[in-house]
Amino acid sequence: MDGYTGTITEMAMAVDPLTTAVFVLLYIVITLIIGYVGYRQTKNSDDYLVAGRDSHPIVIALSYGATFISTSAIVGFGGVAANLGMGLIWLTVLNIGVGILIAFVVFGKKTREIGQRLSAVTYPDLMGKIYNSPLMQYISGLIIVIAMPLYTAAILIGGARFLEPTLNMPYNYALLAFAAIVALYVVFGGLIAVMYTDAFQGFIMLAGMSALLVLTYVYLGGVTAAHSALTAMSDLVPSTLAAQGMTGWTSMPSPGSPIWWTLISTLVLGVGIGVLAQPQLVVRFMTAKDNKSLNRAVAMGAPWLLMMTGVAFTVGALTNVYFYQQTGKIAIDAAGGNVDAIIPAYINMAMPDIFVIIFMLTLLSAAMSTLSGLYHAMGTALICDIWGRGRACALSMKANRVGVIIMMIASVLLAFLMPTNIIARATAMFMGLCAAAFLPSFAAGIYVKTPSTKAALWSMVSGAVSWFLWTAFVHTAESKPLGVCQLLFGTPALLPLPWTVIDPIIIALPFSAVIMILVQHRSRRPDTSKEDYTIE
Amino acid sequence: MLLGISDPQILIGYGLAIGLVLACVVYGWIYWNDNGDGHGS
Repeated sequence: MDGYTGTITEMAMAVDPLTTAVFVLLYIVITLIIGYVGYRQTKNSDDYLVAGRDSHPIVIALSYGATFISTSAIVGFGGVAANLGMGLIWLTVLNIGVGILIAFVVFGKKTREIGQRLSAVTYPDLMGKIYNSPLMQYISGLIIVIAMPLYTAAILIGGARFLEPTLNMPYNYALLAFAAIVALYVVFGGLIAVMYTDAFQGFIMLAGMSALLVLTYVYLGGVTAAHSALTAMSDLVPSTLAAQGMTGWTSMPSPGSPIWWTLISTLVLGVGIGVLAQPQLVVRFMTAKDNKSLNRAVAMGAPWLLMMTGVAFTVGALTNVYFYQQTGKIAIDAAGGNVDAIIPAYINMAMPDIFVIIFMLTLLSAAMSTLSGLYHAMGTALICDIWGRGRACALSMKANRVGVIIMMIASVLLAFLMPTNIIARATAMFMGLCAAAFLPSFAAGIYVKTPSTKAALWSMVSGAVSWFLWTAFVHTAESKPLGVCQLLFGTPALLPLPWTVIDPIIIALPFSAVIMILVQHRSRRPDTSKEDYTIE
Repeated sequence: MLLGISDPQILIGYGLAIGLVLACVVYGWIYWNDNGDGHGS
């Protein structure tokens, strides 16, 4: 986004450019060496597609977390916390409760068991085999290949905007270099290389966010002093935000107000629930050798995730205290009105040089770990689930490498076409679409004894279509920039408040779930072979 | 007011986040060597 450009440029300029470039290049070299280790361990298609189904618990935990947490979660949502306050901590509650506990314990174990029993290698492959439906596999793959490049392009833009000032290179070259570096180890090393590099990047992210939390409280005089100062600033809430329901940075917005709806429906529920059915994350469960690996990953993943989003949202809100003490302005004003600029501006102004470099590597790690998972999920979906569905060649490493390259090129082209202020919005949109289209059929597929193929297909299609309609014609955050509603009906949204601030996931996911339940009850599954592998 | 925060909804949010992390750690520790399916049983 635009904020990234200016503020990361400022961050890069705040420290010696040569020192920054050395650290970044060293980081890239280490990442490529780890990727090479993954490449050497990749001997067959099972290694390439599901990391040999033998990943270490800490690698699973860190890879899952690092793939989930992108630059947007730290900089974008941290900036939102600076603007709207600590209420965003409820997203952390869902990140841990839903994104770790429910995801691993309720969904992860079943996914691993069924995936191993059916020899499933991708999310669409898993769905196709559970429902004994090639069409199911095809449609799932199609949704991934169509929707995921948008999210991937947004991550690419963020990474390129980072490398542009850091390595002092033109944006177009930075975009190509960023795409190529990540593609290099994904193409050759497959999921083993992806997960090993994710784990390395996860450690860097943990170090960066831990230092950020500690230094912030030190600068602001301790935990209670920092929070008290922020509480005392409630009368400084801008009148425009106060009119929409904001009451302060350490309190929730007024219930039912526009800001309350945005906070709860889009940010907390949209992103918090959306994590459950993301194909690139579901595949992580299938890389575990046994259930105890997933149990151990739960213990490691939860503290890590708390240190990511919990710290970003807390420090984000507290930047108001720092900026007010230093400049007499609240964070959003100090950052020139740009939400995305708040966290980088704070790092640049408050932190020592060495931490600026560590935080830049944290952001680069967040972007690369998410990007590598997306490349792999898209490439394997294209080859295994669409082009080579049902053919042995779909499982060849060579074919999948070509698939990753094709999807990488498609994402790069899209990144050149898309606006640069799309990162956070594309993240929320992708998660919402995944949940609406995939979650009910995924849940039924692993838990219902004889899930109906017809119900799953109807649920997927109705979820995707209803999500799109609400996005294009009601939710003004998207319908306004899309312009379709304005073009057809002369208005940015067809419904009045509060509907215009209610996220598409709140409408599309229940609708998709109801369709799944209704059709499931009215259908009789034609193929009863499912009982052979379904776990009750 | 606790730790400088007066809104109980925010405090509950922080309490739940930390509590869930502890629950995850305890869960992982209890079922560290458990290979049973679903819910660690």
